[in-house]
Amino acid sequence: MTNPVIECQNVWHIYGGSVTAVQDVSLKIYPGEIIGIIGQNGSGKTTLVKHFNGLLKPTKGKVLVNGRDTGPMRVQELSASVGYVFQNPNHQLFARTVEAELEFGPRNLGLPEDEVIDRREKAIEFFGLEPLRHSHPYRIGFPLRKLVGMASVYTMRPAVFILDEPTTGQDNVTTRIVYRLIHRLRDEGSTVLCVAHDMILLAEVVERMVVMRDSLLIADARPREVFSDRALMGSTHLLPPQITELTLRLKEQGKLPQVSLSVSESLDVFAPLFGGKSEGGQA
Amino acid sequence: MRGVVIPISMVPGNSVIHRISPLPKLLLAGCVLVLSFSTRNPAILGALIVLGMVMVSVANIWKPFLRVMAILFPILLTLITLQSIAPAFPRPWTPIVSMGPFTIYQEGIYSGVTMVERATSMTIFALAAIMTTHPSDLFASLQKIGMPYVLNFILTMTLQLIPILQKEFTTVLSAQKSRGLKGTGFAAVLPSMVPVFVGAIERVQQLSISLESRAFGSSGAKTSYRSVKVSWVDYLLMLLTTFGTCGLLYWIITDPSLDWSRTLIFAPWLAITLFTLATIGFLIFVIIAIRVVLRA
Repeated sequence: MTNPVIECQNVWHIYGGSVTAVQDVSLKIYPGEIIGIIGQNGSGKTTLVKHFNGLLKPTKGKVLVNGRDTGPMRVQELSASVGYVFQNPNHQLFARTVEAELEFGPRNLGLPEDEVIDRREKAIEFFGLEPLRHSHPYRIGFPLRKLVGMASVYTMRPAVFILDEPTTGQDNVTTRIVYRLIHRLRDEGSTVLCVAHDMILLAEVVERMVVMRDSLLIADARPREVFSDRALMGSTHLLPPQITELTLRLKEQGKLPQVSLSVSESLDVFAPLFGGKSEGGQA
Repeated sequence: MRGVVIPISMVPGNSVIHRISPLPKLLLAGCVLVLSFSTRNPAILGALIVLGMVMVSVANIWKPFLRVMAILFPILLTLITLQSIAPAFPRPWTPIVSMGPFTIYQEGIYSGVTMVERATSMTIFALAAIMTTHPSDLFASLQKIGMPYVLNFILTMTLQLIPILQKEFTTVLSAQKSRGLKGTGFAAVLPSMVPVFVGAIERVQQLSISLESRAFGSSGAKTSYRSVKVSWVDYLLMLLTTFGTCGLLYWIITDPSLDWSRTLIFAPWLAITLFTLATIGFLIFVIIAIRVVLRA
């Protein structure tokens, strides 16, 4: 059995001694998993993931990263293993050019110059930042700035990648890049934790969902199970993607055999309804 | 980062000081300012400090107050060090002891101590007023005493932006640490300062657009969402503050014996101790500040 890359052991976090943000959370995250963390605003999602790279230390309990207790570890030390992309790119970017921004992380890791350049170039190519490489990060639009923020962590190649609301404020083009990023990270064997309200994104890319409500971890299951659980979704005031809701209702009426998570997947499910053949979801 | 954040903003509470209208508090802070600059008598300045401490105690704001003073006081201590060797005082100066090229003067110690007392007393009352007053109440009160609307708005917005920027700085620092930022002098601070300043400038730009779109520049009388009620107790306090200040001022001006600059003689051991403690205090502060910045 593979060892978990991140393990929470009865983690509590209480802000200022009075506001409980995370209560008794136990969780194991294994290498290569793509996990979505959902819940209403203020449910404790961000507080929980900030423990994974040492930005927060548990008030009670333990967080282990690669088997090591994060308690005595510094954020800078953990940043080599756990990358955190902040929701607001403005909090991360400071350099004069996109290129310099992408080099900042690898340089902090003490990598040799050719490796820094290689990682920078690969990130520029993957995120489509070629025309912006000499631009000032603050002079480019918000969606692209957000991509620069992601690219700046991508160049650090952490084993665990935490994305906080990666698609908020993104247009369709940059959202597709986020999808591709998550798929590529999965292919490269990275672990991805995605804190998001974008249920369409999560339904399409994640394999496991952790649901938070009022500082408690209330569910840890596959997306299909989470989205199909009306009581659970209702209690968190979250809505599944429209296609999932539609197929769920049809399934409840006995017209469909299963719930779909995406439009392409639903084509297979709908095919018998319209007397057609399944096309293996390759629509 | 909590250690370097200066929490100059309202501390919620329900003490007597919190409940008093902002006007007497502002008046008191203003009067202390006048009194502090009117005298160099260490006993009067010391009494003002004690009175300020009582106010802080009653308001129960010791923790945030001490957090500010922990940063300000060591800086103030440099006044003793600098004044001891170069007094801002008419000559002749009375030397106490010589240490290499530096000579510690009697007048310098006196000047340094009173300057520290002066700055401390003003700071205590100003902090007590700010920490126990809602920014909007401060705004309404200043408007009531005739402060121009725009100036008043600038002051209040500045006070409200301080905690926002402090929070922003903490977030930005977290983001940079997450990217492996290591402490190596000023270069380590730069990645955090740039986003905070850019964020602040963007915020101000957005704020100005938002203000204009809500008719900020329109003419006519301005009203406030929060109204400040001034009770008879507040009037009584203002009256007492005014009379007290006038009385003290009269005493300070008319009684030349209050000038202790030539009569208060610091024993050499006391002068050296004060000089050494002030210098050590400041150096410790500088070392801690550098360590905090580097650790960031």
